[in-house]
Amino acid sequence: MSTDGPYPPSAPEPEPGTPSWPAGGQQQPPYGGPAPYGQPGPAQPPAYQQQPGAYPAGYPAQPVYGPPAGPPPDNFLVWAILSTVLCCLPLGIVSIVYAAQVNDKWLRGDVAGATESARKAKQFAIWSAGVQAVVLVLIGIFYIGIFALALGTASTAP
Amino acid sequence: MTSAARRLAGPAAAAAVAAAVVGYVGAVDPNQAGHYPTCPFLFLTGFYCPGCGSLRAIHAMAHLDLLTAVDRNPVTVAAVPLLLWTWLRWTRRAARGRARTWAAPPWAVWSLLGVILGFWVLRNVPGLEWLAP
Repeated sequence: MSTDGPYPPSAPEPEPGTPSWPAGGQQQPPYGGPAPYGQPGPAQPPAYQQQPGAYPAGYPAQPVYGPPAGPPPDNFLVWAILSTVLCCLPLGIVSIVYAAQVNDKWLRGDVAGATESARKAKQFAIWSAGVQAVVLVLIGIFYIGIFALALGTASTAP
Repeated sequence: MTSAARRLAGPAAAAAVAAAVVGYVGAVDPNQAGHYPTCPFLFLTGFYCPGCGSLRAIHAMAHLDLLTAVDRNPVTVAAVPLLLWTWLRWTRRAARGRARTWAAPPWAVWSLLGVILGFWVLRNVPGLEWLAP
C-alpha cells in the first residue's frame, strides 16, 4: 500500500488503493480489475484513476467506442427477470446489475470486461435459482411437517 | 433430427416449460392458501418483494383476467410481452442459424433495474396499495 518509493509515480501498478472486488482481475491482464460499475474507459492503457464511488450515471461522458464485431456475450437478463419478477427471490437484482454491465462494456468496446461481467451474471443467475430451490424445498418441508402433524393428531382423534 | 430442428430445440423446450407452468398455475389456484409456499422474502421480512403476487397474476392471465393480473403484480404483466419478444427473436435466430448480434442499449437495462427497485420500494409504501399484491 502506497510504498511508492521504488516505483515512479506513473508506474501502472495493479490497483494499489482502489476498492478491489472479490477475485477481480485474475483474467484481465491490462486492467487491474473491473470497477464495480464499469468505469474505466476501455482501450485506454494509461487511465488508471478509477473513481471509487463512481456510478453508472457517468457513462455518457465516456468517449464512445463502437461495439466490437461478433456476437455479444449473453447477459442472462431473462433469467434475472424470471427470478425477480416472476418468482420470489430478489437475488436476481444483482444479476440485472451485471447484465447491464455486460451490454454497457460491450457497446463501449471493452470485450474482456463484458465477458467478465457475463460470467458474473451467469453465476448469480445460477445462485439465485439454487437458493430459490433450496428455500422453497425448506418451506415445503415445513408445510409438510405441519400437515403430517395435523394428520397425526387427526388420526388419533376418535 | 435435422440441424434446424436441433437448433429449435431450445426455444421449443422453453415454450413447453412456459406452457406447463401457465397451465399448472392456471389450474391450481394460488389464491387459496396452502397451494404454494409463501414468498421467502415476505415470509422472512414481512415486506413484499418485486415478485410478490406473480403467481396470482399468472393465474389471472391464464384466465384472461388482465385487470386482476395488473392488480396483483403490474410488473409481471409488463414482463410478459418483453419475454415473448425475446423468445420470438431467439426463435428466429435459431431458425436461421445465426448468432446474436444485437445487445440491448445499456440505458434500457439500467432503467429496467430502476423500475424493479422502485417498484420494490413503492409497493411497500402505505398509500400505494394498488401496487401491493
